[in-house]
Amino acid sequence: MDRLAPSPAEVLDRTRRLTFSLDGRALTAFNGDTVGSAMAANGVTITARSFKYHRPRGLFCMTGACASCLCTVDGVPNVRSCLEPVRDGMRVRRQNAWPSADHDLLRAFDRGSAGLPAGFYYKLGQRPRFLWPMAEPVVRRVAGLGRVPHDRTPQHADRITLHVDTLVIGGGRAGLIAARDAARAGKRTLLLESRPELGGRLRSSTRPVNGSGLPAYQIAAQLDGEAREAGVEIRLQTPAIGVFEGPLVAAAAPDALLRIHPSEIVVATGALEQPAMFVNNDLPGIMLAEGVDRLLTLYGVLPGRRAVVVAYGQEGQETAASLRAAGAQVQVVNPPMETVVRAIGGARLRAVVIESRTGTRQIPCDLLVIGGLLAPSTNLVAQAGARLRYDDAAHWFVPAELPGYLRVVGRAAGQPRTPACSPPTPVPSHGKQFTCLCMDVTVKEMAHAIKEGFDSIELLKRYTTLSMGPCQGKACLQASVGVTAHLTQQTIAVTGTPTARAPWTPVSLATLAAGHLTPRKETAMHDRHVEAGAAFMWAGDWRRPHHYRDPGAECEAVHERVAVIDVSSLGKFRVKGPDAVALLERLYPGRVQDLKVLRIRYGAMLNDQGVILDDGTICRLGDDEFYVTTTTGGTSAMDQWMRWWLADWGLNVELVNLSGGFAALNLAGPRSREVMERVCAFDVGARALPYLAAARGDLAGVEALVLRIGFVGELSYEIHVPSAFGEHVWDAIMQAGADFGIAPFGMEAQRILRLEKQHVIVGQDTDALSTPYGAGLGWMVKGDKPDFLGRRSLEIARETGPAERLVGFTIEAGAVPPEGAAIIDGNRPVGRVTSSRWSARHQGGIGLGWVPSAWAEDGHTFEIVYDGRRATAKVALQPFYDPQGKRLRS
Amino acid sequence: MPLLVPCPGCGAREVAEFSYGGESNKRSAQDAPPSDLARYLFFRRNLAGEQVEWWYHRDGCQRWFLARRDTRTNVFAQTSWPRETASPLAGEGRGAG
Repeated sequence: MDRLAPSPAEVLDRTRRLTFSLDGRALTAFNGDTVGSAMAANGVTITARSFKYHRPRGLFCMTGACASCLCTVDGVPNVRSCLEPVRDGMRVRRQNAWPSADHDLLRAFDRGSAGLPAGFYYKLGQRPRFLWPMAEPVVRRVAGLGRVPHDRTPQHADRITLHVDTLVIGGGRAGLIAARDAARAGKRTLLLESRPELGGRLRSSTRPVNGSGLPAYQIAAQLDGEAREAGVEIRLQTPAIGVFEGPLVAAAAPDALLRIHPSEIVVATGALEQPAMFVNNDLPGIMLAEGVDRLLTLYGVLPGRRAVVVAYGQEGQETAASLRAAGAQVQVVNPPMETVVRAIGGARLRAVVIESRTGTRQIPCDLLVIGGLLAPSTNLVAQAGARLRYDDAAHWFVPAELPGYLRVVGRAAGQPRTPACSPPTPVPSHGKQFTCLCMDVTVKEMAHAIKEGFDSIELLKRYTTLSMGPCQGKACLQASVGVTAHLTQQTIAVTGTPTARAPWTPVSLATLAAGHLTPRKETAMHDRHVEAGAAFMWAGDWRRPHHYRDPGAECEAVHERVAVIDVSSLGKFRVKGPDAVALLERLYPGRVQDLKVLRIRYGAMLNDQGVILDDGTICRLGDDEFYVTTTTGGTSAMDQWMRWWLADWGLNVELVNLSGGFAALNLAGPRSREVMERVCAFDVGARALPYLAAARGDLAGVEALVLRIGFVGELSYEIHVPSAFGEHVWDAIMQAGADFGIAPFGMEAQRILRLEKQHVIVGQDTDALSTPYGAGLGWMVKGDKPDFLGRRSLEIARETGPAERLVGFTIEAGAVPPEGAAIIDGNRPVGRVTSSRWSARHQGGIGLGWVPSAWAEDGHTFEIVYDGRRATAKVALQPFYDPQGKRLRS
Repeated sequence: MPLLVPCPGCGAREVAEFSYGGESNKRSAQDAPPSDLARYLFFRRNLAGEQVEWWYHRDGCQRWFLARRDTRTNVFAQTSWPRETASPLAGEGRGAG
């Protein structure tokens, strides 16, 4: 490591050495170093290879703005190494190079760049057409930034919502003062800073500040202290990425996405240093002034021994002084009298060519500093809806017409007035001059694109990808606009800037996905299913057993003996109150009023179009108390639906969603009563507990609600107990049924069994147009009730009759067309298969599907087309199994 | 989803906690002609300006309420429970009861 003498302004702890690797080579750093500063201290000048041409790039802005130092850190691609603190043992790799960043053979693309003109990806290999499949993988391989890791290292980011009075974006001088003053005025104040330290430009400057006699970095420390003391909450390394309506500000903290709701926003994002235009303006060794200051002051690194400083303004002069003080030889170039026209070098800058009225001269150097081309950072202000106005004195756009909640302070507002330097224009010389370093866009390509007609800044941006790279214009906006204006011979004001959009700073996918959790619900009996070797599937948010063994064997266990399925995911609601009957009478098309206590009715809920939304059972527990179930998938929608009408009607009803609180299991099969007798302390006989009756009582020591209903077509009991006892009850039933050969069954067997009974699954067999009449559920509609949801629509629908009907069918020759297959009349699709399975009982394919109403008669044959084949099916209006329902009711 | 929604029970919360129920819409009477039914079921005013609409605080108090919101600015002028008779929004629900 090559360092300057320790200074009180530095951020290093020189007593702690850290070791990290760069492309496998071990390097040392001090605690406090960033990857970028450590590379510079170790003499590494190439930090990356460029996007398209694989040109060597070095540290350029050192402020996190540009893309020249993006590295892969511990497998995470595109990390801004200039801001990323070094940790012991960190593995850093430079990107987009083969075989290495120092010797990149793909540099050939630079020399042969005539083959990569503007918009090359729209043209290359597109004609003849067959070439593209070959060209595309090559383009993808050689162009780009870091690689997406293949090991799927899970990354997690939290989502944090913050409500503050004042949000200050930017922790430089103006931001610290604004935050301090807001906090002192009693406002809850949050300050966001993208860098690892506060103070902005002051922090890396050692010049004495007028009047105070203190060096700038100490003023920064003072303001920092005052802000903290005033109670400002400070978040470092947390760039604001967007301002949205509300206002809502999104910011990317190191491991969280912040969603900030401020009453007031103060934008103090400062001014961004802009590069100059000349040939080879991207060589390693060319840097912006603030980056040089940061290396010198914060990290004690001298980035070059022979420096040329192009001083567009005061900043350049100060950096020149700092370099001299650090022991470098410095020559200052003063535009516009003198201009840099060309940089010379290979892997590193060797010399610059300067042109002035007196002639051209070449200066050998290893560092070229561009100082003082400043553009107010107005992206976030523009995102917030402010209009930008071209300011003649600033030669640039300044915020105007701000929304009421927003203030812009400091250099972002163009204050103090930055020296009048017009945006850079290209030099009339051959060789690559880069407008956009991120995407490798040169002046020549822009000229080419403009000639092709892409002559507005917005079109030019899209066609050339100018300013669309990781810097999002931070390090190229002014040059982009300046060069465009120059090439189109327009003014800067007319050329304008491209629309500002989020994200202003690149963010990781983990940050974008923050807070989007996929809930995973497991029932109380989940561990038992795992022990029994269940294969699980998703049912909404639930993990449910698809099968434990062969589903056909599971069906046989239900038909022949006894089996049990976990149905805890069903929606379960308690509906209680003086108006409970009135509510249910209006929510369901069937009658509820005359339902006796501990009796059950099937019920489907409809919307006012008469379309089936969901179905389940209604069990009356008392005069004004009901237990209502819904489908697994419909639980939350029905919760919301029922509450909506409850609110609108203003009925006196308590609706409690018990879905998570109760476990449920369905014990089914001819021997299920015998199992129940062993575990229940109450009468479960056919007389005491007939079909569609319910009982409450002690089951295996637990207060249970038992419903005699049967989705799977055999004698069966649906048992509801508090979730805490789910596993206990499951165990008790498995033990009690052991002699009978009890076995668990999964959803696949349940689906076969219900299909054999032609029981409809709402949402699978029905869709957003299905009425009870079409779905064969017309029997439950009691049109003589004065009102229920869907009543008026059904009244009209009934007169015309359904155009399509849902019918059962058998399929010939053992075929099982997939669900969704088309039902055809000749060659015209007229319906579709909604459910289909192979039934061992029936020894053939069976299904449910929608057909023209005229076909809905037993024995009508029709054709189904699938996978280019045709199968013949025959309508069967009666269930395939136990059509009279004797077994169900036994 | 930027804006804050003022729930009459819980105060201003992120819109992500809510479900939007659409503009309030009078339910047609049971003996109304089919044209009235069709208007209720399928037609919306789609106002550019202040409208009364339904919101549900799904991840909060789980209650539905009515709100008067300007569709152009997302400014909520008022919110209230649908049956709050003292509220200027009283009777703005579907009025089915």
